[in-house]
Amino acid sequence: METFASLYEGFAVALTWQNLLLALLGCFLGTMMGALPGLGPANGVAILIPLAFTFGLSAIAALILLTSVYYGAMYGGRISSILLNIPGDEPAMMTCLDGYPMAQAGRAGEALALSGVASFVGAFFATWGLVFLAPLLVQIALLFGPGEYFVLYTLAFATLGGIAATNQAKSAFAAALGIGIAMIGVDTQTGVQRFTFGEVHLYDGIDFLIAIVGLFALSEVFVFLEHRGQNDSADEGKMKIGRVTPSLSVLRYCTPAMIRSTVLGFISGVLPGAGASLGSFLAYSVEKQVSDPRSETFGKGDPRGVAAPEAGNNAASGGALVPMLALGVPGSGTTAVLLAVLLTLNIQPGPLLFQNNPDVVWGLIAALFIGNFMLLALNIPMVGIFTRVLLVPTHILMPVVAMIAFIGIYSITGSTFELTMMVLFGALGWVLRKLDVPLVPIILGILLGNEMEVNLRRAMTISNGEWTTLFDSWLAIILWTIAIVGFVLPIFLGKRVKRKMKEAEEEGPLSD
Amino acid sequence: MIKTTLAGGAVAAALVATVPFAASAQEFTPDQPECIAPAAAGGGWDFTCRQVARIMRETDLIDGSMRVQNLSGGGGGVAYAEVVNKRNDENDLIVAASTATATRLAQGAYPGNTMDQVRWLGTIGADYGVIGVRPDSEIEDLPQLMTALEEDPSSISIGGGSASGGWDHLKVLIAAQEAGIEELRSIKYVAFAGGGEAISQLLAGSLQAYSGDLSEAMGFVESGDLRVLAVLAPERLEGDFSEFPTASEQGLDVVGANWRGFYAPGEMSDEAYDWWSGQLDTMYASEEWKAVMEQNGLADLDLHGEEFRDFVAESVSDIEEISREIGLIQ
Amino acid sequence: MMSDRVLGGVGLALAVFYAWAATIIPEPFSSDAIGPDGFPMIIALVLGLSSIYFVVKPDPEPKWPALNRLAEIGCALLVMFGYAQVLPILGFVFSTVIITAYLTWRLGAGPLTALLNGVGTSVGLFVLFELIFGLSLADGPLGF
Repeated sequence: METFASLYEGFAVALTWQNLLLALLGCFLGTMMGALPGLGPANGVAILIPLAFTFGLSAIAALILLTSVYYGAMYGGRISSILLNIPGDEPAMMTCLDGYPMAQAGRAGEALALSGVASFVGAFFATWGLVFLAPLLVQIALLFGPGEYFVLYTLAFATLGGIAATNQAKSAFAAALGIGIAMIGVDTQTGVQRFTFGEVHLYDGIDFLIAIVGLFALSEVFVFLEHRGQNDSADEGKMKIGRVTPSLSVLRYCTPAMIRSTVLGFISGVLPGAGASLGSFLAYSVEKQVSDPRSETFGKGDPRGVAAPEAGNNAASGGALVPMLALGVPGSGTTAVLLAVLLTLNIQPGPLLFQNNPDVVWGLIAALFIGNFMLLALNIPMVGIFTRVLLVPTHILMPVVAMIAFIGIYSITGSTFELTMMVLFGALGWVLRKLDVPLVPIILGILLGNEMEVNLRRAMTISNGEWTTLFDSWLAIILWTIAIVGFVLPIFLGKRVKRKMKEAEEEGPLSD
Repeated sequence: MIKTTLAGGAVAAALVATVPFAASAQEFTPDQPECIAPAAAGGGWDFTCRQVARIMRETDLIDGSMRVQNLSGGGGGVAYAEVVNKRNDENDLIVAASTATATRLAQGAYPGNTMDQVRWLGTIGADYGVIGVRPDSEIEDLPQLMTALEEDPSSISIGGGSASGGWDHLKVLIAAQEAGIEELRSIKYVAFAGGGEAISQLLAGSLQAYSGDLSEAMGFVESGDLRVLAVLAPERLEGDFSEFPTASEQGLDVVGANWRGFYAPGEMSDEAYDWWSGQLDTMYASEEWKAVMEQNGLADLDLHGEEFRDFVAESVSDIEEISREIGLIQ
Repeated sequence: MMSDRVLGGVGLALAVFYAWAATIIPEPFSSDAIGPDGFPMIIALVLGLSSIYFVVKPDPEPKWPALNRLAEIGCALLVMFGYAQVLPILGFVFSTVIITAYLTWRLGAGPLTALLNGVGTSVGLFVLFELIFGLSLADGPLGF
């Protein structure tokens, strides 16, 4: 009951006209930032920090504005995934897989509305999780030592096999490529340079945003150039939007998927270093394994394949606040920026934050609830407006998308080296799509490769080189079991089925 | 994503610049003051830039706001090279630095760069090193930890927020050297992305000891999650921190101060250099800054101008000597 | 068939190069059990093995576009490279008008539509990013 009293206090702090307006502004700007490829939630928050100071906002007001941006961007990422097959930010990558096929099938409006609801469900329950479970969740995060983290990442890569319906070797190839790219730069464990060949721009490693925008957005431009004129009549202005609200039956159909994904996403978010991308990724791959083990509908526009990753990534963004607030450890790039905001406001996150600054914590939590409802209210009516994008002819739309990609990257890096690299990724993406090499594992490799390696090495250092350390806790054994029984074995069992399917498919869209 | 620039600051500055403002008597004032934090948001350098930007704005030492740009990579090396190679004559730019900067310069970790290539402005305080364990640990004091490390180094993993060979690692090595341990290479140091992560892993039971700075450990000490074996300060700290024993009163004469401060581009004009150094000094004396220092466990260390340059030079040569003795560099 | 074999060949070469590049990583002071080169070696191995698989068991040949379409893609690629290079020189607005107009034209619009889309996109994005979000885009000789 004390919790409710605190929460009530929080609402008392947060519910002023000024704060509500700030939340609305934050939600709107965040949604836009999220939807634009190249600007993710982390950049969105970072870009708007000066705005908060320009307004001379109090600590709580600034936090309300910036967390609304954070949640808004998590909502917004899905829009371009569904409409353009280009993820607006990295956690929205998985939403492309079924969202775009739904749009192609004339169900764009439904996909957008459904994913809006799923985002709400994920974020809403994650915020409740934050309210009630924060102290407990810290304990969960502390169960994960370096060994367990390594197994968790291995599990993530093991699930790749379940996602790509095609050649498994190509998934492995793509994942290795991504992890290989992640290794470029300074080795954090020893401080030595790896694969940089003396190029200063590579010391930092390659930003995954550059890879994701190049591989997805620019390669899409090349695909359109390739097919120009071949099916103009089909794609110009004829893409149907369909209904703009999800039917109750579809919502009911997707409810179990949303619940499962919320739980999974939330837990991924709570683990520092895993974050929203892992949340949406695991939510999608687990959902597929549970609901559609034979890959009959997933990847072809199954609504559950839209609901799951969206619930997952929004739940993860709530979960990621737990280690940030309670341990001062940012669980993702975005929470790292939010952490910086807290520090600037002279609020020291850590075990005592809930005692020392209860007004800030509960005000923040109240702000999350407000932001959530506001986003739902903003997003559902706006589905009709978003879908207008599809009525724009391709030859107008694609150049605009390409330019947004360029500007997004340039404005946050200020470097033409990064732009050149992005173009290279675009060309690579086009070739790999031709050859049916999936792109999702590459991004996953770039996102998680370093963490995977570093945790393996930490575990090995601690255990004095004993490999058994990777199997010596019940948690590690559970994770290994899920990876092997849930994902690796089915690949070999289901191989025959999949090969038949492959023959049936000609030149699938982005079938990864 | 990590390299996020807070470019919006430019607009913020432009907005505020239209507000009438009492011009300072000095000739130089920066048009677009900028602070580079040579690491990702959330770390020590980032903290330095942001806190200073905030206090300078609040105390009107700067017109409008100072833009904070995160430029991570190479342990600060990317930012150092960027300043030396591309922005060597800018007057509006300062860069956060700390003992880690001096450590890397001493160990030649910024290839081709030396400390003479930039102008050292001043410090804003020091953060003394701490070595700590979990409250339920059997290890009661620093000599016990050293004995344990000598007897069975493989049984103890020490975590810290810097890379291997970095400042958090060096502090352990210096203490061990002082305690007479010969096999310094056998001491297991595990690098984490930040002090918070290292402490979490200490709490999770993966590590047996933690080496870091007082500021990042403070919250965990207050909550009873971390027991401080020793503060690496010359004498006991003031206030709440006076209960922590120093290393020297336990018979190990080790002082590890992580100073925080700034450097400026090498060709910065003298007027600009004096302006920045003066503003930092004024800020340091302000009540607002004293409050920040207290809240964040920063101890007194007020050096600026030539004095600071000499201090850095000395600290670089000290670290170089220790690193050579220990075998970190040839 | 052939395409996958080429991919396998390229992949294998990449794996060998990667493994070689891992061997030249400088030796650090206190190396951990695996070292900075251990994990990259494993990655090179996975890369190599999957590449060999492509050579041995290639997938059916994809539909490659005709030569003129390949040239089309190549040109677009060159224009994009060019854009990255001239951006800091010409400034954001001018460079963006040119590249957007080019892409719009090549995607099948008439010259006038192309030009209008170029100008509209360029100015619109400038307003959005530079003026609303407050990000700094490349400044040209005229300040935009």
